[in-house]
Amino acid sequence: MTSSIIRECGPVDISEQDVLKAMKAMQGYIDITPADFKQVYQIAYALAKDRMLKALKAADVMSAPVHVVSVDMDLIQTAILLADKGVSGAPVIDAGGKVVGVVSEKDFMAEMGAGSGGSFMQVVAHCLKNKGCVALPLRNRRVGDIMTAPAITAPAEISVGEIAGLFMEKKINRLPIVGQDGRPAGIVTRLDLVNSYCMLG
Amino acid sequence: MTYFEKMRGHTQSPPRVGAVEIVWSGIGSLLGMAAVALIHFQMLDPLGHMLIIGSFGASAVLIYGAVRSPLAQPRNLMGGHLLSAVVGVTALRLLGGHPWLAAAVAVAAAIVLMHATKTLHPPGGATALIAVIGGESVHNLGYLYVLMPVGMGAAVMLLIALLINNIPKNRRYPEFW
Repeated sequence: MTSSIIRECGPVDISEQDVLKAMKAMQGYIDITPADFKQVYQIAYALAKDRMLKALKAADVMSAPVHVVSVDMDLIQTAILLADKGVSGAPVIDAGGKVVGVVSEKDFMAEMGAGSGGSFMQVVAHCLKNKGCVALPLRNRRVGDIMTAPAITAPAEISVGEIAGLFMEKKINRLPIVGQDGRPAGIVTRLDLVNSYCMLG
Repeated sequence: MTYFEKMRGHTQSPPRVGAVEIVWSGIGSLLGMAAVALIHFQMLDPLGHMLIIGSFGASAVLIYGAVRSPLAQPRNLMGGHLLSAVVGVTALRLLGGHPWLAAAVAVAAAIVLMHATKTLHPPGGATALIAVIGGESVHNLGYLYVLMPVGMGAAVMLLIALLINNIPKNRRYPEFW
């Protein structure tokens, strides 16, 4: 994770000078002080943003159907599958089809010497220092051994705003969306979240 | 924020309006007041009802000088004057024995009523007050004061505002009814 500082998402801070210029451009006498207008703007903007973020749900932005792997799948097969599908992670399901965890590049890299940070550069550094790469620890092991569990999941009704909050708070990159039976319905990745901001205009 | 810090103010005055706005404010108020004053001098002066014209001078500032203001909209102009007139006459009827009290109650009740009915119009305060302090001739009108001179004067002012304020390209009136 790059930074532990969560930057506050807020409305563009207009200044009283901006308001004064706008009032001049509109002509006519507008009987509100610049400070009062600014306050009206800020409250209205926050309400509008809130409404937008609440209006857009996981169901609107998630990728579905989602590629899943089962908990007892061999890690080599898993790596091949993820590479094949061009995804960097997937929900892990148990024999009953319920989501029990998430496996991603990060989990693989953690096993390959990256430690808990799980970045590719850490793997490179580890390989160079040890004069060779060690993917061997991945042999004969299963998804269940390295996955991140328990899974952080959410229902399809969760709003985009809440998802963004979860990503920051839990430091995760993808959120499996599950039905009431716990089976996967889709997944919201950081990319899906970025796309949702386009929908918001 | 402490009590005394609040007294220093915290923001600045809105910008001065453009020359066009100033000119049309002048034209509108000149014509509006001319119409109202003409009617008053022709019809009301002999009856001694001149004081009410002060209230319309205040309305002119709003409806010709600050046409976007919520306080200047027709609902406020008409509602504010009519309701305040009713309040003023009523205050006189009930408290006429104590003119100072009737005057205070008339203005205060007018403000409360205008707020409650979303018709706040500052000159309404004067309209309510004049019902009390306007002297014998106004007192003799009773509730007729509401329609004439108050209602008629406000209607004439409104008519002129509608005709004049919509001539310039960058002005429009009203914002709402």
